[in-house]
Amino acid sequence: MRIGIACPYTWDVPGGVQVHVRDLAETLIAAGHEVSVITPVDDERTLPSYAVDVGRALPVRYNGSVARLLMGPVSAARVRRWLREHDFDVLHVHEPSAPSVGLLACMLADGPIVATFHTANPRSRFLTAAQGALQPSFEKLRARIAVSEAARRTLVEHLGADAILIPNGVAVAGFVGATPLPGYDDGRPTVVFLGRIDEPRKGLDVLLAAMPALLASVADVRLLVAGPGDAAGPRARLDPRLRDRVDLIGLVSDADKPRVFASGQVYCAPNTGQESFGIVLLEAMAAGTPVVASDLDAFRRVLDDGRAGRLFEVGDPARLAEVLAEVLTDPGGVTDLVRHAHTVAQAYDWRTIAERIVGVYRMVSGDGRVSVASS
Amino acid sequence: MDALVVVVALVVAIATYLTWLALRLDRLAARVADARGGLVTQLVARADAADALATRCALPELADSVRRARAAHPALLAGGPLDGGVELAENLLSRSLRSGEVAAAGQLFPTELHAVDSEAARVALARQFHNDAVRDLRALAGRRLIRLLHLVGRRPSPTYFEIDDALPVRGDLPGLAS
Repeated sequence: MRIGIACPYTWDVPGGVQVHVRDLAETLIAAGHEVSVITPVDDERTLPSYAVDVGRALPVRYNGSVARLLMGPVSAARVRRWLREHDFDVLHVHEPSAPSVGLLACMLADGPIVATFHTANPRSRFLTAAQGALQPSFEKLRARIAVSEAARRTLVEHLGADAILIPNGVAVAGFVGATPLPGYDDGRPTVVFLGRIDEPRKGLDVLLAAMPALLASVADVRLLVAGPGDAAGPRARLDPRLRDRVDLIGLVSDADKPRVFASGQVYCAPNTGQESFGIVLLEAMAAGTPVVASDLDAFRRVLDDGRAGRLFEVGDPARLAEVLAEVLTDPGGVTDLVRHAHTVAQAYDWRTIAERIVGVYRMVSGDGRVSVASS
Repeated sequence: MDALVVVVALVVAIATYLTWLALRLDRLAARVADARGGLVTQLVARADAADALATRCALPELADSVRRARAAHPALLAGGPLDGGVELAENLLSRSLRSGEVAAAGQLFPTELHAVDSEAARVALARQFHNDAVRDLRALAGRRLIRLLHLVGRRPSPTYFEIDDALPVRGDLPGLAS
């Protein structure tokens, strides 16, 4: 199929939507489809061959990301030309509720249009205020996809429209067989944490509180903490016995993420709430690292009710220490768990996810093509 | 002179707005028509897959439901309405597909069962796309100005297609029902 994808956020600034668009586009291309992505970008040299620049524009903050306010005549002309040149079978716009290329493409095109909604934002003032103005564009959407149950609920509450749930994918092959980070290849029992360290609901404090008890049962254990955020706070609160057992290595690049998982004997997700999906869990599962996670709905679902990873009571450091000790002292006991986890991760592999998205494309495209709207 | 300019500008603005509304209505009607076509195609595909399973495994109850659903399909393909009779027949097929008989037969013929389940999942999607389109069209067509000016013309208002298309639980992986 000929597929056009509109990405709302600046390509060379890290962000979940950009990663989603990149992985989707590359999986579709590998499957033999013709794909063109249109996106704002700061440095055009960072664009892959399948992407085109929509032009620079005013940056605005939208829901924690920097969107490019792209409603000007120059970007409109570029989107129109892009649509005309490619004669797409289907146009896939991302986050059309942000005032950017996704919405612009939706306004300017006619024909089979599919939209993916990424944001889970129960009280979006922008969405509430703009609902009436968005309706004429949204009524062109043949199918709406939400990447999480929370994103779907946001859509239902603000726009009264339902969406089908197709989760984010994981590039499973990219996580298999990574080498540990330097200094972590000695097989010493290591617990891995990945996520913002100064965000309470990511639960680093729960894990730190579990460490003294864990130390008592696994004497040489250490903790590898990877993620952005101010390290001074957690470091100051650290139990003196833990000072040389906790390594805070800061933000890691996407390329190094598989190596972080490979550096640990167990990956711990001690989150205390509000997780919509748990993509990081799937990445750890793809890497073959046993997972120990809080018993949250989203995590329980990804971990197949505990068959693909161990669950512990949310916010309970004592239970966490016990479960971590069990996994670390008996690696043989989790062999089946790790094998099943890998099977579950496969079901979320980008190839599987992209196939489901193509299924949606086929259902809405019919005989029509995407054209430039007449008004 | 000035008053004339204002009047002309106003008339142009109103005409543009009304044309734009009419364009939106046309576009929505086209979307509903496409979604309807997709839904009918999918209902036919589900009946075909169910027929293959019924023949392969000799399931008389399922074969009967397929026959009843298929009886309405030629009229639907010719543009006939998705009315209560169609809903009833398709509901019957949904129910047969969830029966214990089908689940047991599927143990022996997983390929055929999987084909039916995939088509049934696509029926649920096609129905959602159809009903979403119908809802958008009805919302716009129901606006006071549009009713007042008869912008919808003589087009009949499209109706929702309501069937029970819940999928059977067959112990699949979590979160991957479709």
